[in-house]
Amino acid sequence: MKRREILIMALLLVGSFITIFLPNVKPHKHIIGAKQLLYEVNKQGRYVNTDAVAKMIMESDPSLLLIDIRSPKEYAKYTIDGAINIPFDKILDKANVDYFNQDVYTTVLFSNGTSLADQAWLTLRSYDYKGNKVMKGGLNQWYKTIINPQKPADDHLTAEAKQAYLFRKGAQIYFTGATPVSSAAPTSKPKASGKPIVKRKKKEVSGGCG
Amino acid sequence: MGPLYPQLLLNPQYNLLIGALIGVGFGFLLEASGFTNTRKLAGIFYGYDATVIKVFFTAALTALIGLFFLHYMGWIDITLTFYPKTFWIPTLIGGAIMGLGFIIGGFCPGTSLSAAASGKIDGIVFIIGVLLGIFGFIFTYDTAWEALRKSGKMGRVNIADWIGMKEGLFIFLFTVIAIVTFIVFQKWQDSWKRKMDQKDIDDLGI
Repeated sequence: MKRREILIMALLLVGSFITIFLPNVKPHKHIIGAKQLLYEVNKQGRYVNTDAVAKMIMESDPSLLLIDIRSPKEYAKYTIDGAINIPFDKILDKANVDYFNQDVYTTVLFSNGTSLADQAWLTLRSYDYKGNKVMKGGLNQWYKTIINPQKPADDHLTAEAKQAYLFRKGAQIYFTGATPVSSAAPTSKPKASGKPIVKRKKKEVSGGCG
Repeated sequence: MGPLYPQLLLNPQYNLLIGALIGVGFGFLLEASGFTNTRKLAGIFYGYDATVIKVFFTAALTALIGLFFLHYMGWIDITLTFYPKTFWIPTLIGGAIMGLGFIIGGFCPGTSLSAAASGKIDGIVFIIGVLLGIFGFIFTYDTAWEALRKSGKMGRVNIADWIGMKEGLFIFLFTVIAIVTFIVFQKWQDSWKRKMDQKDIDDLGI
C-alpha cells in the first residue's frame, strides 16, 4: 500500500473518530438575508386587522394565539382577553421559541400601536420564524373599532361599511358586556392560555442528483 | 450559511450554470484519472484493480465527515440538503441491474459520458444502451412498474436513525468498514498482479 493511501486512511479514521463525540444533527437557526426581509416587509401580508382578531376571539378560534409584547406593567393594566404577555425584550428568549417558531397557531402580536409589534415581527422573521402576524393599529385601533366603535356618517354609507359597523357593535357587546364604553377601559384580568404544543414541520428541499 | 439555494442565498438561476461548471470539472477529473477505461473500472469485479472502490469510498467518507464538521461549524445545514425517500425493493432491484450493467458494459452512467466525450466508441455504444433503457422505462412507467415503484416504502430515513445508532458512531463504524474493505481489496489486487504476466497487465492499458 502506498504511503499516500495510508495517510488518507489515517485522516479519515481520525476525522470519523472525532464525530463520535459530536451530538446528533439538529437544524440550524436560519438567518434571513436583508433582501428577503425587505421583500417580506413590503408584502404587508403580516397584518391582520382588529375586526379579524375580534371575529376569531368571538368564534373561539382554537388556532389563535394572541401575544401582547408590551411591558408586564402595561399588560396588567389592560390587554385583550386571552392574550399572553411576552415583553419585546424577551421575544428571543429560549423559553419563548415554541410560541413564535411553530406552525400550529396563528400568533398575533400586538402593542399599543403598530410599530413595536412590527419591530418584533421583523426580529422574529430575521430568525426565519414563521406564522407570526401583527395586529394593525394595535390596542389603539382595537379601542377605536371594537371597544368604542364610532358610527360612520350616514350620508354615503356603503353596505360593507354598514355591515362592518354592525359587526363592531356586536363585538362591542361581546367584549364589554353591552354598555357602550366611552371613558373607562375594562380592567378584567387577562387569562393566559397554555403553552402551545409544537409540531415542527420538516422543510421540503428540492434538487439532488439526476 | 449553506446550502445556498434552499435558503435563497444564491439565486436559483445560477443553479444550472454552477452545475455545468462542476460537471466539466468532474468529467475532466474522471478522464484524467483513467476512469473512462472500461478495464480499469471493471477491474474491481475481477480483482486486478481496486481503484473504483477506493475512489468511491474515499469520496463518500470525505463528504460524510466533511459535511458533519461543516454542520457543527455552522457553514452548512445538513437537514436542508436533499436526499430522496427510500423504497428499498425497487432500489435493491435497480442496484442489481446497475451492478450487472457495470460488469458487462464496464461503465457507470457518468463515466460512459466522459468516455464518449473523449471519443471512445464503447462509451458511445454504452450511452445508446442507457438511452434505450431510459426510454423503455419512461414508456412503461405508468403501466408496468406501478406496483414495483411503490413497494418497500420507508419514507425519508437515514441508516443511523433507522437502526437507532448515534450518528457520529455510525460514521466511525462506516469508516472502519471502508478501511477494512480497502485493505482486503488491495491484498486481492496484489495477489492478482503477482499471478499475471507483465504482457497481460500492459494489455489492460491501466
